[in-house]
Amino acid sequence: MPLDIFIQVLLNGVLLGGIYALVAFGLSLVYGVAHILNIAHGTLLAISGVVASLIFLKTGWNPVLIIPMIVIPVFAFGYLFHAGLLRPLARRGKHDETIGTVLITTGALIMMSDLTGFAAGTQQRNIPVRSEMLEMGDIILPMAQIWILAGIVALTLALHFYLKYAWFGKAVRAVTQDAFGAALCGVNGPRARALTFAAGSGLVGVAGVLYAIIYPVDPYMGFSLTVRAFTIIVVGGIGNLAGAMIAGLMLGVAEAFTAFLWSPKWAPAISVILLLIILVVFPRGLASWRKA
Amino acid sequence: MPRIVLYGCALALAAGVAAIPAFAGSYLTAFVLALMISFVMAQSWDWVNGQMGYLNLGHFAFYGIGAYAFAILLTRGAPLAPSFAAAVFFGSLAALLVSLPLFRLKGDYFAFATLAIVPLCELLANNFDGLTRGSDGITLPPDYVLVPAFYMAASLAALTIAVTLWLMRSRFGYGLRAIRNDEQVAEVAGIRLFVFKLATLTLSAGFAAMAGAIQAWQFSYIAPNTMFNLGVALVPIAGALLGGSGLLLGPLVGMVLFASLEQALLVKLSHLREAVLGLMIMLIGRFLPGGLLRAKWITGHRSLFWLSRESHFEVAASTGAVSDELPLARRAIDKNQIVLACEGATMAFGGNVAVNNVSLTIRQGEIVGLVGPNGSGKTTLFNLISGIYRPRSGRILIEGKDIADFRADEIAHLGIGRTYQIPRPFAELTVRENIAIGRTFGASKTPLVDAMRTADVFARYVGLDGLLERKAELLSLQQKKALELARALAAEPKLLLVDEVASGLSTVEIATFVKHIRDIRDHYGITVIWVEHIFSALAQVVDRLIVLDNGAVIADAPLAEAMRDEKVLTTYLGHAATEAK
Repeated sequence: MPLDIFIQVLLNGVLLGGIYALVAFGLSLVYGVAHILNIAHGTLLAISGVVASLIFLKTGWNPVLIIPMIVIPVFAFGYLFHAGLLRPLARRGKHDETIGTVLITTGALIMMSDLTGFAAGTQQRNIPVRSEMLEMGDIILPMAQIWILAGIVALTLALHFYLKYAWFGKAVRAVTQDAFGAALCGVNGPRARALTFAAGSGLVGVAGVLYAIIYPVDPYMGFSLTVRAFTIIVVGGIGNLAGAMIAGLMLGVAEAFTAFLWSPKWAPAISVILLLIILVVFPRGLASWRKA
Repeated sequence: MPRIVLYGCALALAAGVAAIPAFAGSYLTAFVLALMISFVMAQSWDWVNGQMGYLNLGHFAFYGIGAYAFAILLTRGAPLAPSFAAAVFFGSLAALLVSLPLFRLKGDYFAFATLAIVPLCELLANNFDGLTRGSDGITLPPDYVLVPAFYMAASLAALTIAVTLWLMRSRFGYGLRAIRNDEQVAEVAGIRLFVFKLATLTLSAGFAAMAGAIQAWQFSYIAPNTMFNLGVALVPIAGALLGGSGLLLGPLVGMVLFASLEQALLVKLSHLREAVLGLMIMLIGRFLPGGLLRAKWITGHRSLFWLSRESHFEVAASTGAVSDELPLARRAIDKNQIVLACEGATMAFGGNVAVNNVSLTIRQGEIVGLVGPNGSGKTTLFNLISGIYRPRSGRILIEGKDIADFRADEIAHLGIGRTYQIPRPFAELTVRENIAIGRTFGASKTPLVDAMRTADVFARYVGLDGLLERKAELLSLQQKKALELARALAAEPKLLLVDEVASGLSTVEIATFVKHIRDIRDHYGITVIWVEHIFSALAQVVDRLIVLDNGAVIADAPLAEAMRDEKVLTTYLGHAATEAK
């Protein structure tokens, strides 16, 4: 494999992995704080991408302007979805709560995909931005991809510092560690959960716009992204941003090389197989892994 | 409801279903067929969820595997019967293979790992296109098979009901319900977890695979995106929950309601069918945690409550006079026989050494008090003896056998019984069922029917008479402790580990309890180690006192001698104890 092609595939993988990591951040925060595995998480990305693409085709605006148009409604949707449907389940026993969240979020996935497909069509779409090419020797990269990469890095750093230093960020981490202890210290648990759910949804909205610039989106593609995001948080550790970023990049690069060297149809298998292997080798989650 | 009426209804229902193909059109026949297939899926899923307490989101993968195995064989010229057999074989085989890794997981993680199986199967079906024809799908020979497929589905549904009835009344089924309530306690009570879990998942997968094969035969076309579709995969789960998971009639009633509702709604729609399905699934998840049949107006209704029954066991009416004698063998005590020996047993959690180089010997017929300050390692030592933890170093021998390689259930069968400091009865089961589970799975290995019948005697012995049919979660703390003692005794142990039962009891109750401990030693030869903080209770009955501090034995002597020991006085009893004398 020539070096220039190797680097090209590697960069594609990094870009893909960065977006996966953004998707995983949201899921990781939500699972860490609220113990909700949102199966519709990836579907929010798909729908955000579809809507962003429609806006772009209609108006031709810069995607940077489209991002807030997506994020604000998705954030609000996430808040209401949690408050109206998921929060009441916390009163149940653990097993019943898990079944309830699985049914609600899967039902939401099916509904949202079908409604979007009905309203916007089921075909694949993207955001065809015109972009200058950056040439470095034999390597050619669209500038848009460089900007996306920079955006992912900026967003990750912002999130990291927010969680580390801001009051609400600390509250979120406290709830992740021990919900009861955090409540004793004055953290409003239900509010923290709802806002985290909303923020996780908002993040995935951003990821949706970025994704649609590089890859095609359609209303039904969401679940495979949820599986990838779940693999990433299991590998990287729940509530661990750095871990999720590393795991996301690894997964993206692995998929890019699998697609290039073998066949694109096997790329999605990696995350599922990796997930099963990790869960089996470290059945008590990654806490046991990091110690080992 | 009188039994004869019940049988009559069942018979009429069966006859009605059997007559459908003869009288109804093919549309209705196909609908009832699909309904029966859905019921088989919902009920077989519920064996794992409702009985055993494991949320399997990948149940539909087995349905798809069955359909594919059947279709691949049939299109390659295999006759019908072997094709169906292959479906069941490969479905069960897949379950067996995934059991090994999956059952290392619990709770949420188990659910998520099983959820990943469905997209993995879809991917494999798409990619191994030499075998499965990929996304084109497989078209079966276009014979008219609606009527035979209907009768096969009806037979499978009948068999599913039969298996459910069996689970509701068999020893195996009670093992599953014990696992659902508290897996660790179930194992310590003598249930071999892995075998129960493996068998149940394999059984449920076999039924799902057969259902998939029958449905594929009737559809005459299968493709990855219809066989492994996430929306379809959750329908049986939603159906079972709509009725009530874990109830005898829950999945049946729920699936009939769900399918009828779906049919009624979808018949009018040309668009947004999936959205309606998604909405139904969502609403069930949001509003029906226990299912319709657990609603108050059913469980509390005079003639409807039987719809919500959870078990199918009926205890034969008591035969009048019951003796106060416990149905335990009277064993003679051999004072030279060593029941338990710990040799340098050590257990640490991270850097915290909870049990430190403990060596002790317990002889048959002794009643030994085990005391020490909080955190001194008493309960951890019990957990080592009953096999919940493995010692870091040192050996534990039960009647001379090193238990290093023994699972908790095997240790139970060696004759170790125990109670828990914080009581852990099987909360959703009745007092009678709790005691019977201890008896049928423990060292005594009494058949379930006898264990259920003799549960009365143990309940009366510990003062729970009249509460036999009450669920354990509704008992008071003291009653739960009494139940734990009854459950442990019913197993007919040689060595009973009693972990703090006296705290919270009145003086009179303590006196009764002390008498029980002496009784079971004197009459049935049961050796006892009793952890207790209420020293006055211990002092009435123990022969010997072992004192732990910071995980180490600081005294091991006859009661009177230990009470004068300077170290024991400083660390545990306090000097007031000597002054009080």
